[in-house]
Amino acid sequence: MSIMELNGGSVIAMVGKDCVAIAADMRLGNQALGISSKFERIFPVTDRIYLGLPGLATDVATLRERFRFRVNMYTIKEEREIQPETFAHLVSSTLYEHRFGPYFIEPVMAGISKTPSGAVKPFIAATDLIGCLNFAKDFVVAGTASTKLYGVAEGLWEPDLEPEDLFETISQTLLNATDRDAFSGWGCIVHIITKDKVVTRTLKGRMD
Amino acid sequence: MPDMVSIAQPIQQSFNPYTENGGTILAIAGADFSVIAGDTRQSEGYNIQTRYAPKVFRLTDKAVLAVNGFAADGNMFVKKVRQRLEWYRHAHAKDMPIRAIARLIQTMLYARRFFPYYVYNILGGIEEDGTGAVYSFDPVGSYEREACRAAGAAQSLVQPFLDNQIYFKNQTPAPGTSFPAHLPLQTVLSLVIDSFTSATERHIEVGDGLEIYVVVAKGSTSAQGLQNLRGVQELTATDDGERVFVVRRELKKD
Amino acid sequence: MNTFATKFSTTSAVGQLRKAQKLAAEEDEFSDAAWGSEAGFGNVAKGAPSFTVPAIPDPAAFLRLHTDDHADPSCRIKIQHGTTTLAFRFQGGVIVAVDSRATAGSYIASGTVKKVIEINPYLLGTMAGGAADCQYWETYLGMHCRLHELRNRERISVSAASKYLSNLVYSYKGMGLSMGTMICGWDKTGPAVFYVDSDGTRLKGDLFSVGSGSTFAYGVLDQGYHWDLTDAEAQELGRRSIYAAGHRDAFSGNTCNLYHVKEDGWHFIGNYDVSKMHYDGPGNVPGAPGHGYGYDIRVEGRSSANPPEASS
Repeated sequence: MSIMELNGGSVIAMVGKDCVAIAADMRLGNQALGISSKFERIFPVTDRIYLGLPGLATDVATLRERFRFRVNMYTIKEEREIQPETFAHLVSSTLYEHRFGPYFIEPVMAGISKTPSGAVKPFIAATDLIGCLNFAKDFVVAGTASTKLYGVAEGLWEPDLEPEDLFETISQTLLNATDRDAFSGWGCIVHIITKDKVVTRTLKGRMD
Repeated sequence: MPDMVSIAQPIQQSFNPYTENGGTILAIAGADFSVIAGDTRQSEGYNIQTRYAPKVFRLTDKAVLAVNGFAADGNMFVKKVRQRLEWYRHAHAKDMPIRAIARLIQTMLYARRFFPYYVYNILGGIEEDGTGAVYSFDPVGSYEREACRAAGAAQSLVQPFLDNQIYFKNQTPAPGTSFPAHLPLQTVLSLVIDSFTSATERHIEVGDGLEIYVVVAKGSTSAQGLQNLRGVQELTATDDGERVFVVRRELKKD
Repeated sequence: MNTFATKFSTTSAVGQLRKAQKLAAEEDEFSDAAWGSEAGFGNVAKGAPSFTVPAIPDPAAFLRLHTDDHADPSCRIKIQHGTTTLAFRFQGGVIVAVDSRATAGSYIASGTVKKVIEINPYLLGTMAGGAADCQYWETYLGMHCRLHELRNRERISVSAASKYLSNLVYSYKGMGLSMGTMICGWDKTGPAVFYVDSDGTRLKGDLFSVGSGSTFAYGVLDQGYHWDLTDAEAQELGRRSIYAAGHRDAFSGNTCNLYHVKEDGWHFIGNYDVSKMHYDGPGNVPGAPGHGYGYDIRVEGRSSANPPEASS
């Protein structure tokens, strides 16, 4: 069995109109056995950047702390908050440091940045487990349900969704994709990031 | 001088008569119609062998069979099913009912239990009671009647989308309303086209062309909207019975 | 006379003659039965079914190479596995409960599989392992149970039916069949459950569970099982056990199909959504607890991890 399927789990991020959304399931398993339905795999990096870490659970915990440390060091040195684009490259280089003995994680990140003119720019990105960046303009997915997520997202997503519509789209995508994946599910969590707030909702999902 | 040691090992040649030819098929049953669709790309690995190789076949006026997996096995299997259906026609002077075709396909697949046809079959059509039917099979013949099924390379992309849009999974109807048990033909056709454009976008083995077969029950009004559809062609063999149409569309070729 | 009809008729004198000539000439690939329908079993009507086998020294190894996804997940022909099925005997008959999930790798290929095979009005078979193997051979068993009835003017016993199946699959031992089934029914001896698998094992017993989720089902089943269960209690135990397996086992779930075999044959009790059972319970049915089966739901407001909602 693939090491990515040992603990299971999936993450998806989507772009909307002046907003982004990132969502994940909450299952932690040991192969076929479900262990926990309260496992968090999305973490806030700054007020406006969230990072999803699907993959091996032990590496979820390790990388979470590692990124916290590196972002704190960046903030102290630069005396400013890290920008989403910069953070994406930090993720990429951190993973590539372990090119020949990688963390079994495929990170997905979502955030919004303010341009110098004051406008809001949504940002999403994903990398593979050794840090190859993918800056998509629509949506990014990762985890055991990734093929299912691609299919549903490709069918449901449309450009310039308002925050509430984006919430509905990402929720339906995640719920229906994880219902066809044996290793994802057991409840979901969704974060909608807009310029002045982040709304977090947990969803009731199928418990089988 | 040491003896000459032969380093040649006995070579075991393994017998591998199978390959995978990609593509995706899909069928949806309505109240009085059935839609069976498939893309027309045939590939092996990263090579496209042809941009037009049909995977969906009209068996009778009320049954259409879609085959996916190993194209050589698929084509041979369709040929053999058609032969048995012709024999049935000679013996009984009528077309075999679809539930009987389903059972026939099971026994034909299971007869090859120890040398399987590497083919995933989906049978769509009209039941004797006039309802739309979809039967899906595994390569060795287990089968089940369903309302909607995708198979092949992009089944994992298409099926969850269909769960959401056909069965309304994870959706709650507005208070005082309910979801329709059966969708109208126009809606189903749009969903099929959307499913294949999505699969084409994200899967390299899907694309080039799309063939959508529509089987409409005798006297159904669903056939009316169909005639003036772009790229439609009627394939019905007899009049005063079920009617079969095919709608052909282009898909991206990259 | 219509020459065309004569040509293809099997009952006319010419037809009979042609049939006799043909029989004398050679054994064809298809029997004459294949020209008709023979209830779909055209290829088995002449007695024992025949199978195409590849012309190589070790056909079983060939089959294993192309179908065994335990050893090689990338193999092309996926045969479904992952299941929870259970059956138990009690004072009121036999309870048969199964889940409805079919998986191919991590993909849930179907959530609506019928894993209880209705052999005849008095016999049920369950499905674990190869779906086609179970479906085909249990349907075939149904034909022979009917032939037994016609020959002996009485219903076949569950013991005899299960032994028929057991001997049948044993004759294919080593060829790659995969079945783990419970043959359940009611005969002269009362309620009966037999476990039959493709290795040739055949066991009589009170309580069995088969499949990847069987350990979870046994946990609940053993806890609540005793002979004097009422009908409602027994049905609830079957549902609750399948729920437990559906919840914890990734390869089981979606819905539970429940059957009860009584003296007058089997009865379909119902289809229950595993997720609905988790949150709300099985609905208004005999034996239902009136709340969800899920742990979080059961202890809502009664544990420190799940405190009552703050009155804000």
